[in-house]
Formats: sequence, structure tokens, C-alpha cells
Amino acid sequence: MDGHSILVVEDNPDDQVLAVRALKSASENSPVIVKEDGQEALDFLFGNDARQPCKDLDSLGLVLLDVKLPKVSGLEVLKGIRSSPLTNWLPVVMVTSSDEPADLLNAYRLGANSFITKSINYREFTEQMKLLARYWLFVNKVPKAGAVRSF
Amino acid sequence: MMGRWRYWRLKTKLLFLTLFTSALGITLVCASLIFVENQNYRKQLESELHVIAGILAEQSAAALVFEDNEQLSSIITSLKRIDTIRQACVYNQKGDVMTSLSGRPQGQCPSVGSSLEVGFVGDVYQLLMPVTLDNEVVGQLFLSSHLEVLRGHIRTFVSVASGIGAVILIALVFLALRLQRIVSEPILKLSETAERIAQDHDYSIRAPVSGTDELGRLGNTFNEMISTIQQQNRRILESRDSLERIVEARTSELSMANRELEAFSYSVSHDLRQPLRAVEGFGQALEEDCGDQLNEIGKDYLKRIRAASVRMAGLIDGLLVLSRVSRQSMENQTIDLSQMLEEIAEELQDISDEVPTEILIQPGMWVVGDSRMLRVAFQNLMANAWKYSAKEEKRIVEVLSRREGRWVAIEVRDNGVGFDMRYIDKLFVAFNRLHTPSEFGGTGIGLATVYRVVRRHHGDISATSQLGEGASFVVKLPVSGDQG
Repeated sequence: MDGHSILVVEDNPDDQVLAVRALKSASENSPVIVKEDGQEALDFLFGNDARQPCKDLDSLGLVLLDVKLPKVSGLEVLKGIRSSPLTNWLPVVMVTSSDEPADLLNAYRLGANSFITKSINYREFTEQMKLLARYWLFVNKVPKAGAVRSF
Repeated sequence: MMGRWRYWRLKTKLLFLTLFTSALGITLVCASLIFVENQNYRKQLESELHVIAGILAEQSAAALVFEDNEQLSSIITSLKRIDTIRQACVYNQKGDVMTSLSGRPQGQCPSVGSSLEVGFVGDVYQLLMPVTLDNEVVGQLFLSSHLEVLRGHIRTFVSVASGIGAVILIALVFLALRLQRIVSEPILKLSETAERIAQDHDYSIRAPVSGTDELGRLGNTFNEMISTIQQQNRRILESRDSLERIVEARTSELSMANRELEAFSYSVSHDLRQPLRAVEGFGQALEEDCGDQLNEIGKDYLKRIRAASVRMAGLIDGLLVLSRVSRQSMENQTIDLSQMLEEIAEELQDISDEVPTEILIQPGMWVVGDSRMLRVAFQNLMANAWKYSAKEEKRIVEVLSRREGRWVAIEVRDNGVGFDMRYIDKLFVAFNRLHTPSEFGGTGIGLATVYRVVRRHHGDISATSQLGEGASFVVKLPVSGDQG
């Protein structure tokens, strides 16, 4: 039912499609926005001017952020998100395909809400995406769309 | 004493030799001289007496004929002056004693006859001389002399010779003591040097060498030998050093290769699986989202694509396990095999395929080995047993073990389709399958992995089967934990 949208920052085109498909099947009404690299993600979130965020921003209910991204890395994007009061409330779930323990700790230190490892098995991967959507959009409480601006 | 000859020191031996030969020589010389002197003295005595007898016989001839006993007596009495003569008798033709040396305690005159011995008899010398007048025997003269004087001479001679001999011998002892050094000293020095070299392992020491005789040559040869040993030692050390360097280089090469292999396996896991996920994922998505738009052929193709990607996933996973089993270091511990097998059996039961199954695991089986690797191995064996007996009415899988000397033999038995023993050589080779995919699915890596695990435990695996009757795999592991 929720109308909150999901931002997926993922460089692998196949994973993009599969992730979107899975998320949509968990929450049909949630639009999914896909960005391919860290720079695009930051541009989208802050517009070209940090003082002029995009108008879609406060309809976001979840950011799925891949650790490994071209141009600007996932952790850099996370830092950017947490640095501005306009965006630092966003629930960010870091996604990785590797097991690097360093990434895990750094992600939490930089303020990630959650950290998951993409399953190598496509079935489980699909389940993971659905689970995330269900939890962060339905179980977790996010500010109502439009609430942020007025705060 | 002679038995201990071997244990005498060189010096003693040389001394003994010298003195023995010298003493022997001296003794022989003295003995010969004494003997010769003895003979000379005797001859001298003999001739003296003969001369005396001759003179007396001549003098008494006339008196005998005229039977003038007084004359005979006075002639004989002159013999008194010679005190070696103990008896002198004159006999007439008939053998009667006409006169004798009286006043001598030596007793009567012996009767002349064939029983009278002449010459050296016991400790006297006796002689019988015929008295002749005008070539006619008119009587006989008997003389007997004791040998005291002779003996005295000989005794003196012996004493003198012995004395001189002893003195010479003593002098020789000192001389020999000094002289034997000529031979024994170089030998002793050589032996000392050899002992020192052997003790200290110092091959730079050389033996002092003097002279060019056999001892000198021995010394030189010895020194050459030691030089050779020294050189060889140096060469051995050098080659050992270079070998150590080679080993170090190899070891670092090997660890590098191992690390590369680990990185490779990781990237296999990662990079190969990623596109695979896409294939699997889109395969499912295609079926779910567009399945109704596909005709039968399309659906069939799709099914095959999905099945192929599943197989590929299985292969990659199998390969990863296989490579891990080859690479990983072993951590040996005592393992409750029965419990591990029960756990594996439970996992299998969870894949319920509605075939009535009986899995019998012998309790109380213990082995020593790496638990991760053994789990992988037995998972494979049990899964195989499970899979290949899935077509039976009732599936029976048994695991038993027995002790065979230094080995523990663990048998996994099933009542499935079995395999053709003709292909037994290919059984444990990776990717070789003895069944077609339509009969039974499988990657063909499972048994290769089992084989690798068993070999790393320094064990052995064998298999027997009868087509249609089932298969039996026997894993033998060493009882104690001394594996590499």
C-alpha cells in the first residue's frame, strides 16, 4: 500500500533488473528509482546544487546502496547522505557482493542502517529483496511523504 | 702373556722385540762359546792324561818285566803331585794289580776286562794304556782323573759370559729405549693428530712429517686425505647453503602459487556466479512473467536453459569444494563419525522424495582427521548412495566400520543401481560419469572430491558393485593421526 519510493544504487545491469522485479513484487505501489553509479546517486539526491534537493527526495522510504560503485564508492555516497540534514534521516541499507570485513565495520561507522550480502543464489537474492522491501517500507516507520520539507 | 700382545703399546712392543732378539743372540753366542770351550778343555785333558800315561808306561815297562814293585810304586807315586788324578794302577800281563796309588781314598783298582769303561765316564775320566817293551805288551796302566778342574773352568767361563751378557743387555735396554723413538715417535704423533682431528672435527690440522721413508710417506698421505676431507666439507656446506636458498625460493614460490590459487578460487566463486545468477534469475522471471506467451518449443528451450544453469551452479560449487579440499591445511582431531553421519542422514531425509528409506549407521565409530573435509567426503558418499538408490522400492543405505590392523575401514553401502565394474578406473576421476544425465543427475566431481579428501588423510578408497545390486565404497583411514 505504501507509496514510498525506493532508490537502488547498483552498477550491475542484471542485478538492477532482478532487484527491481523483486522489490516491485513485494510492494507494487512503490516506485523504484535506479542509479548506476555513486556520482549519479549523489546528483539525484542533492540535485546539482546542495541547497536545492530534488523534489522526490522526501518520498524516499529506502536507499539500497551497493558498496562497490564506479566513480564514487558506496561508502562515499553514504558519507554524503549522512552529511546533510536534508538527507541524513534516510534509511540506507548497504549491499555488497563480497565479504570484506573492513567494509562492514566502516559502513556502520559511517551510519548505515543495515548491511547485507547479496546472495549468490538467485532465488535467495530475490527473497532478500522482497524481505528488505517488506521490512523497511511496511514494518519500519518512515516519515510520511512530504513531512520532511515542513520540518 | 702373548695373548695380550695386541694390547701392548707400540713402545713396549718395539722394546720387547729389540731386547728379545738381542738377548737371544747374546745367549746363543755365549752358549756356543761355552760349548766350544768345553770341548777344547776335554780334549786338552784327554791329551794331557794320555801323555802322562805314555810317559809312565814307558818308565814302568822294565820294572814290570822284572816285577820290581818298588820301582813301580815310586813311579806311580810321582802322580801324587797331580791332584786331579784319583787312581792309577799298573797291571801285569795276567791282569793282577802290581801297584796302585795308595793313600787315596778312591778305593781299589778295577779289574781289567771288557767291562772296564774308558773315556769320560760319569764325573771321571778313565784310560787304560798298554805297557810295552820291545813291542811286546807286558802289562797295562790305568789312570782315572776327576773332572773338577774342567768343571771349574767351565763355570768360570759361564759366569764371565753371563756377566758380560747382562751388562750388554742392560746397555741395550737404554739404547733400545732411545732408538725405538725413531720409529714410534712419528707414528704416535700421527695417531695423536688423527685423534685430535676426529675429536675436534677440525680439518685444518695437519700432522708433522719428517723424513721420506714409509712413515714420512704415510704422514704426507694422511695430510693429503685430511685436505681432501676439508675441501669436501667446504663443498658440502656450500651446496647445502645453495640448496637451502633454493628451498626458500621454492617455498616462497609455492606460497605465492597457493595464494594465487586462493585468489583464483575466490574469483571463480564470485565472478562466475554473478552472471550465473543473472541467467537463473531471468530464466525464472521469463517463465513467471512471459511463460504464457511462449509456445511449447519456447517453454522447452527455457526449461533446458534453466536446467543447464542449475547444473553449472552445481559444477562451480563442486569445483570450489574440490579446490578447497586440495588447498586447505588440515586440522586433525578425533571425530565422532557416527554422529556426523547421523547429521548428514538427517540433511538427506529433509529432501524428502517419498521413497521409503532406511539408513543404518553403526554407532560408536571414531576416526582421526579433518572434520570439514571428512564431512564433505561423507556427504558426497551418502548423497550418492541416496541418489542412486532412489529408484528402488525401498532404499537401504548402510554405514559400517571395522578395524583392519593400522586402518579403520568405513563402508558405505546402498541397494541402488550400482555401476559397471569395468569402468572402475574412471570412478574417481573428476567429471567422469558412469550414468547419463537422463538416468541420474550429477556433476561428476563428488567422488573426485572424496578421493582427494581420502588421499590427504593418507588413506585409501575402493569401490565394488554389481549392476542392479547396489554399490559399496570402502574408505580406509590410518588409525593414528600422523598425517601430513
